[in-house]
Amino acid sequence: MEKKIEGIVKLYISEIDKAETSGDLIELKVKLFGKNGELTSLMKQLKDVPESQRPLMGKAVNEAREALEEKITAKLKKTEDEEQHQRLMKEKIDITIPAKTSVVGNLHPLNLTRQKIEDFFISMGFEICSSPEIEFVKYNFDMLNIPHDHPSRDIQDTFYIRDDIVLRTQTSAGQVRLMEKKKPPIKMLSPGRVYRPDEVDATHTPCFHQVEGLVVDKNITMSDLKGVLEAFAKKFFNENTKIRFRPSYFPFTEPSVEVDASCSGCGGRGCRICKNTGWIEILGAGMVNRNVLSACGIDPDEYSGFAFGMGLDRITSIIHGITDARVPFEGDIRFLKQFNNQEN
Amino acid sequence: MKLPISWLNEFVDVSDIPLEVLEDKFLNIGFEVEDVIYFGKNIDKVVVGEIKSIRPNENSDKLKVCELDVGRKDLVIIVTGASNVSEGDRVPVALDGADLPDKHITACPLRGVMSYGMLCSGSELGIDDNIIAGAEVNGILILPKDAPIGEDIKKYLGIDEYILDISVTANRADCQSVYGLAREIAVGLDRPVKAPDIHYECEKFSNEKTPKVFIDAPEICTRYTGRIITNVTNDKSPYWMRKRLLMCGIRPKNVAVDITNYVLLEVGQPLHAFDISFIEGNIHVRKALKNEKIKALNGEEYSLDENMLVIADDKKSLAIAGVMGGEYSGINDRTSAIFLESARFAKQSIRNTSRKLGLMSDSSLRYERGVDYDSIDIGRERALNLFYSLHVGKIADYVQNVATLKPEKKNIVTSAKEISALLGIEIPQKDIVRILKSLNFSVKSQNDKLTIEAPLYREDIDNYTDIAEEVIRFYGYDKLDSTLMASSRVSVGARSKENQFINTLKQRLCALGCYEIINFSFISEKACDMLNVPDDSDLRNIVKIRNPLGEEQSVMRTQLVSSMLNTIALNQSRKNTEARLFEQSKTFFAAENDLPYEREELCVGIYGENEEFFALKGIVESVMSVIGADYTIARSQAHYLHPGISADIIIDGKLSGRFGKIHPKVAKNFKVKNNVFLFELYLSEIDFSENIVKYKELPKYHSVDRDLAFVVSDEVSVGDMLNEIKSVGGKLVEKVVLFDIYRGEVIPEGKYSAAFSIKIQPYERTLTDEEIAKITDDIIKSLSHKFNAVLREQ
Repeated sequence: MEKKIEGIVKLYISEIDKAETSGDLIELKVKLFGKNGELTSLMKQLKDVPESQRPLMGKAVNEAREALEEKITAKLKKTEDEEQHQRLMKEKIDITIPAKTSVVGNLHPLNLTRQKIEDFFISMGFEICSSPEIEFVKYNFDMLNIPHDHPSRDIQDTFYIRDDIVLRTQTSAGQVRLMEKKKPPIKMLSPGRVYRPDEVDATHTPCFHQVEGLVVDKNITMSDLKGVLEAFAKKFFNENTKIRFRPSYFPFTEPSVEVDASCSGCGGRGCRICKNTGWIEILGAGMVNRNVLSACGIDPDEYSGFAFGMGLDRITSIIHGITDARVPFEGDIRFLKQFNNQEN
Repeated sequence: MKLPISWLNEFVDVSDIPLEVLEDKFLNIGFEVEDVIYFGKNIDKVVVGEIKSIRPNENSDKLKVCELDVGRKDLVIIVTGASNVSEGDRVPVALDGADLPDKHITACPLRGVMSYGMLCSGSELGIDDNIIAGAEVNGILILPKDAPIGEDIKKYLGIDEYILDISVTANRADCQSVYGLAREIAVGLDRPVKAPDIHYECEKFSNEKTPKVFIDAPEICTRYTGRIITNVTNDKSPYWMRKRLLMCGIRPKNVAVDITNYVLLEVGQPLHAFDISFIEGNIHVRKALKNEKIKALNGEEYSLDENMLVIADDKKSLAIAGVMGGEYSGINDRTSAIFLESARFAKQSIRNTSRKLGLMSDSSLRYERGVDYDSIDIGRERALNLFYSLHVGKIADYVQNVATLKPEKKNIVTSAKEISALLGIEIPQKDIVRILKSLNFSVKSQNDKLTIEAPLYREDIDNYTDIAEEVIRFYGYDKLDSTLMASSRVSVGARSKENQFINTLKQRLCALGCYEIINFSFISEKACDMLNVPDDSDLRNIVKIRNPLGEEQSVMRTQLVSSMLNTIALNQSRKNTEARLFEQSKTFFAAENDLPYEREELCVGIYGENEEFFALKGIVESVMSVIGADYTIARSQAHYLHPGISADIIIDGKLSGRFGKIHPKVAKNFKVKNNVFLFELYLSEIDFSENIVKYKELPKYHSVDRDLAFVVSDEVSVGDMLNEIKSVGGKLVEKVVLFDIYRGEVIPEGKYSAAFSIKIQPYERTLTDEEIAKITDDIIKSLSHKFNAVLREQ
């Protein structure tokens, strides 16, 4: 019997080694462990073995069974995995075939910029406000300390509806409305559409967009203006962005400044975007003119404030490298699709 | 404002300061250099040379071979065809490799003789007689005998010069001149500024005919001064003056006129020179008569009105004040005596006159910015100095000085503390005083109190904030701190509810594949006609612009549809085959005696082969689900939509939106292809109260699906049946889906079959078969009763 066991083990180990498919192995399994399998019948024959030898023989048969079983199972697992892999690889597809896209639209780049700006100032405690686009001369000019003989009031620079009603030429008109209604502390941001009679060309549109900011409270300083705008520029462009103030003039602020940000295209070294100056003009700002505060019923000796206004269209164009002011107003779907990186 | 560096240098020494540094200095004190212009033109390697010998070219009758001394060791040989040169002449020589405005010179053989350059004419150098005599001669430019041999021609001609083009803000009329800018930059550079030379000597003048000046319109002319220059020789002005005028864009004429222009540029005071022989009697500064005619110096006749100011004598008007002289004021080479005007006219009046007449001049532009009280004197005195020192004539001791209103000097009382509080940094009082004094402000300090008086030319200075600006301008904006409103109370930042809601709507539209567009708010007045809108429609209640840029942009839009159709037309014309677009913007409706009504609206436009009404309806329903309001739809009356394929959206009985296919007539008007669908929503008409979703417990029991198909008349709508099924089924019918509509052989003409899948969902217990059958039976009965619907057996 011992010899028989040895023979079976030897034979089947070589059979298992020779087996190529999981089918072969299952067949061997049946031949060994099936109802009439060779090891099964050996087990059956154990009862005929003399009692004295039985434990030894039993052990030998069991060891042979375990060894063979382990070998078959291990090989079977490996073979089955390989066979499945081969089957799956027959389902192989060309993964470079273009995707089936779900069409998702996008906001206009101008409004993407606008939301980004709004989000920053909301985080600084600003309220987003709006005011009429068709406005009284009183709010658009008079209360903003714009002299009656100021050229910006000319029909060359302002669209008129009536003698006393215009299409607002600046979002600053909303400042005055708010200050008339609300008393300090005021922190507001008013984005919106403004109008000026410029013929359409690559750098002008008669209809464009501004974002106006206003803070009025006790002891607001020009250093506060610088701090807030610097924080904005860092958030909006990048951490390394610097800003610089240049003296300028607006009737509704005093002192007035133009604010430049260091060019994020070149880090201030000079490039095409910044016309080699290293700086990009981003907005106009200043301390709210005392006359404007007074006109709105706010005591300029008790309160001070700052205001700033930026051109949304301009900033959007700078960020995205849009070189023609007309294009964003055309609504060409190929233009719009560029802003969520989808193919045309 | 053009600023030639050499001219600036006469007032402040900037000779050692590189251009970029100077630009930066100007920028830091508020004057942006918009451009740096080089007056030298594209000329390189052209020098003064002397012709040592001339011999004929043996191979040509016309060409001559010249040997020139150009200040080098060897003579240079140049072949020329010019006939006006002789030995000993000094001429401009373009050497081998030289650049001229229109050509590049290289050595080359001419008829067998090597020529190492070219002799230049004035026109080849791009100059005329205003730069040097003989420049316009047809031939080589012959230079004076004392021209230094070998000197760069640009240096010799005085055209090696940079001009800064500086933008001056509207409040700084006093800086619209070389001297004005010099005053500023001198402080920026901490260097002294020299005053213009105003020295001259007068001669006794006695003539009974001397005019007296009378101001009849003191509200427009607050000061008028006049002087007389006799024994005038009105020749050409010197080259240095002509060059400077040219650099600033003014054509030189004769010395008298050139002096007035020169002074305008130098100190910013417009002057006018009258030929005294035309003046009959006295000078009157008066308003024009209605329709008074005057022929201006440009040869045109102008018809004036009573709001315009003229300078007149006893008989006739001589000039349109501050704008342009008339034919009886012109100075020419026969002029022997001049009446010189230096005056101040109100800027608004000059601007109105100039705009109304469509007539502009350097003088009117300058007056429009505002001329200050002081510069009247400086300008006049400087001009007299030039008449005197250039020997143009004799200055008579005749003086007319009529002032109707002297400006008051303003005292501003402030302190270093107040200025520092506004700026947010401590600025020492001594720095404040130093800066202000260098700007010609008078400052008296009494302990902490500063009493400040601005010079008369600083009409922009009003209160302490203006003083703070002057101080920080020169103290340096870079010295400001960056602080974050430490003194201000913390506030809550937020969008308005409406704004937030519109953002949510836009997000939904993007998710539905729509792209946002932005159009101008003004459109053509014809848009309503193109949209088929009836005469009595609200959409015709338009706001018109008085001064539009053109018909296409003449009225404010009352709807967003026409802009959307134009955008679609543009896309279709560019072969963009499909698109889903939306715009969210305001529309404007005229209101009596008030601002127009501004309404927030939404407009969606879709087109393309795969688009259809029900795709649009899907967008509508998705958008309406964001709004959350109960709404119904009804067949639309909109004239720009297809009458059979369009619907109105009604909320609380109010028309709140519309959607449907574009009317073919309208499609044609806007040149869009027919398969275009539009959806409008009048956001301002809708109440957007936030809908907080209430959780509904998930069902524990299985649902049952039952499919039912009915045959009904075409008159019955699917919507009516859906509503009926839901209402009969009550709470247990969770969902009804239309899954088929069929018309065909087995269905009688005029009828159709609609198949519904009904989901019955119990919440409290499992339903018995009988209970479920009762629900379906009730539905079948009710539809049969209400709509004559016949159940189709499976």
